[in-house]
Amino acid sequence: MDARLRRVNKEIADCKNDKTSNIKIDLIDDSPFHLKGSFPGPEGTPYQGGTFEVDIVIPESYPFQPVKMKFITKVYHPNISSASGAICLDILKDAWSPVLTLKSTLISLQSLLCSPEPNDPQDAEVAKHYTTSKSSFDDTAVYWTQIYAGGPGPQGKKGKGTTMGKEPRDEIAIAGLERAHVEQFEALGFERSKVIDVLRRLNYRGPNVAKLSEDRVVEELLK
Amino acid sequence: MSSDYEISDDDENYYDYDEDMIDGTQDEEEEDGDMYMDTYGDDFKVAPKNKRKPYEIEYESLSQAAVEKLMQEDVEHICGIFGVDGSTAALLLRHMSWNKERLIEKYMDNPSKVLVDAGVTVKEPSSPSAPVRSHSSSNSNSNANNGRRPTRSTSKLIGLASGSKSPKIPTVSPPALRPSKPTRPTPFVCPICFDDSPDLKPLSLDCEHSFCSGCWTAYVSSKINDEAEHCIRCMAEGCALVTPDPFIRALLLVEPTEPVGEPSLQKENVATWARFQELLVRHFVASNPNLKYCPYPSCTNTVSCPGAASKASLATVVPIVSCGRRGFGITEEMSQSQPVGMGLAAKEHKFCFGCPIESDHRPVVCNVAKMWLKKCRDDSETANWIKSNTKECPQCQSTIEKNGGCNHMTCKKCKHDFCWVCMGPWAEHGTAWYSCNRFDEKGSVEARDAQSRSRASLERYLHYYNRWANHEQSAKLSVELYTKTEKKMEDMQITSALTWIEVQFMKKAVEEVEKCRTTLKWTYAMAYYLARGNEKELFEDNQRDLEKAVEDLSELLEQPIEAENIPTLRQKVTDKTVYVQKRNDIVLEDTAMGFLEGRWKWNVAVEGFDEPEKVEF
Ligand SMILES: [Zn+2]
Ligand SMILES: [Zn+2]
Ligand SMILES: [Zn+2]
Ligand SMILES: [Zn+2]
Ligand SMILES: [Zn+2]
Ligand SMILES: [Zn+2]
Repeated sequence: MDARLRRVNKEIADCKNDKTSNIKIDLIDDSPFHLKGSFPGPEGTPYQGGTFEVDIVIPESYPFQPVKMKFITKVYHPNISSASGAICLDILKDAWSPVLTLKSTLISLQSLLCSPEPNDPQDAEVAKHYTTSKSSFDDTAVYWTQIYAGGPGPQGKKGKGTTMGKEPRDEIAIAGLERAHVEQFEALGFERSKVIDVLRRLNYRGPNVAKLSEDRVVEELLK
Repeated sequence: MSSDYEISDDDENYYDYDEDMIDGTQDEEEEDGDMYMDTYGDDFKVAPKNKRKPYEIEYESLSQAAVEKLMQEDVEHICGIFGVDGSTAALLLRHMSWNKERLIEKYMDNPSKVLVDAGVTVKEPSSPSAPVRSHSSSNSNSNANNGRRPTRSTSKLIGLASGSKSPKIPTVSPPALRPSKPTRPTPFVCPICFDDSPDLKPLSLDCEHSFCSGCWTAYVSSKINDEAEHCIRCMAEGCALVTPDPFIRALLLVEPTEPVGEPSLQKENVATWARFQELLVRHFVASNPNLKYCPYPSCTNTVSCPGAASKASLATVVPIVSCGRRGFGITEEMSQSQPVGMGLAAKEHKFCFGCPIESDHRPVVCNVAKMWLKKCRDDSETANWIKSNTKECPQCQSTIEKNGGCNHMTCKKCKHDFCWVCMGPWAEHGTAWYSCNRFDEKGSVEARDAQSRSRASLERYLHYYNRWANHEQSAKLSVELYTKTEKKMEDMQITSALTWIEVQFMKKAVEEVEKCRTTLKWTYAMAYYLARGNEKELFEDNQRDLEKAVEDLSELLEQPIEAENIPTLRQKVTDKTVYVQKRNDIVLEDTAMGFLEGRWKWNVAVEGFDEPEKVEF
């Protein structure tokens, strides 16, 4: 039997038999080389309570070349692209070792959620948000976990008692911005989506707000 | 003539491959020079034997084997100084990008750190118990090509005999060899493929991370073929040990005594080993500014050109070199199976040593050539129309198509003779005041307002670009025309009494035309950036004379060929070819001398040259 197939089959079986781990690997279609992994968001992080799904593609020369993984679930995290789910993690690139497995790699992704590396970002805008205003970043990550990963939402968080449910998604919260800031520029006659776009790009958050004059923002809005 | 340019032409000096080339340390190597030449002289493609022209640079073409010899010399040098085996020395040198001097310095300072950093030994809290890993068969193992079993430790240090210059002996802890299996309490299961069959061969480096030989081979092959990586670390996560060459060799090449595996796989492994050797050579070449790997696809030759190794030298020389091979890098038998013809398939691998341009861009220096190509790319749309192969007759406006390289056009309809490039009457081109090549600068100087100024600047660019593009086009067209003619001449050889030699004269002529059109092409790039003045005018005089001669020869090449006119045509073509050659030499020589003398001034800032006094076109 093909060595790659034997190894992948064993990996999938081992993962199934491991009752203690909370990592799951499932087939997407008939191919054992295109899989879906999932794991719960780690406790004590903004991702807590969510379930995160990962697309897994096993290359021809696996395990001698690294497995290809990206998040299916949208994640708000400096090392994960907020648009594509692409992941910046050394073991998926040059630090890959053939002894690593799908399970150990998924565990590494889980711990990446615990310890972001904003200095080596995949998503520069998210990373800027993380470094300028950690608490605002956490709120946004919790909101994303709630709406994309089935998380519980910001219950118990002071002043933000959004109830869970099917209410329309809040574009301002998704972008990690303050409602008052968005409305301030909306009042000047700009479209909401445009304002959100520009404020997010300028990282109009926390101490950065004082550094960006209204004129500067308007200038961007007019581009 | 500048003295540092005149390099002796005598062959002895020529072959005296510069030992300083790599790092300036040469104590031990002095005597090697002659031996080197004797043994490897055959691998060198000898550069022009006759006196070098000022526009030719001294260089040598090296085969892969010749470069490997240079590498081996460095390895042996390091072996001698450090008292390590060949594969260890190789890993150390690669780790330091073949900078021997730095390696020696660092190693003398802290050998164990260097060994760990290079992935030769395991990083461990030093235990002073085992100072030197010595083993009975140290000598037989010290040869880089002698590795047999990958399980064998390959990073051992052979005894340091000479006390004086030996560095401190690094302490390498784990005891020398561990053929793992017997001491293993449980049967071996490969942690990668999960195979546990009893006939599995577990192999490890000094770190004792054991994997089956099949996994090792697959891993090493993937690193080499998929990633073009020569520095291959142990498969264990985070392990920094690098697989030494004998280990890789043992994985990929079957020993004659071993049972022969699947033939197709074996063939693949042999190819992987060859690719690995090539990667090592490429790394060595890339680490050495005096060397450059031939850019032609699947060619493995290298050119050594110390005269163009520094950036500064590129302001005075145009280092056009050739790797010594011909053809598209394909094997001999393949190229022979192709029609020889004009020998396009057998073209020299000519390229510039100083820049990424993969063709001859003499007479213009690299930085100006690059600037020009960038300008052409940026302005490609504006200039696209020029490349079209049809134009209208300036007299009767009927469409005329160009199908040869000659610029002398005669309208089929009204018989008007005109120049394809400037569309002016051809009659004027034959006279002394031929000036098709010179841009009339008056217009742009007189332009007052911004708009007419920018129009004039575009016109100026188009003047040069038009001629540049035309020579490129014409060179191609002459070659195409020739392939047709050649067929005809070969036929005539059969039907008439002509000998093979007698029908060959066109070939030389077409080759010369193609070469000169390449020169002419780049003279327009040069003229575009040359500052106005006497020097530029003289340059354009030479350019004009060459252009005129080339056009005349092109015209001759388009004469109808019949068996009876061949003797006269042959005489005319041969004479003209000699003349064209002379004109081309004059252009190249004068320009090259100008660079050496610092005579050329530009109308823009060019790296390596003085700032232009004032920008004026
Ligand atoms: Zn294995
Ligand atoms: Zn290891
Ligand atoms: Zn070549
Ligand atoms: Zn060049
Ligand atoms: Zn006409
Ligand atoms: Zn003309």
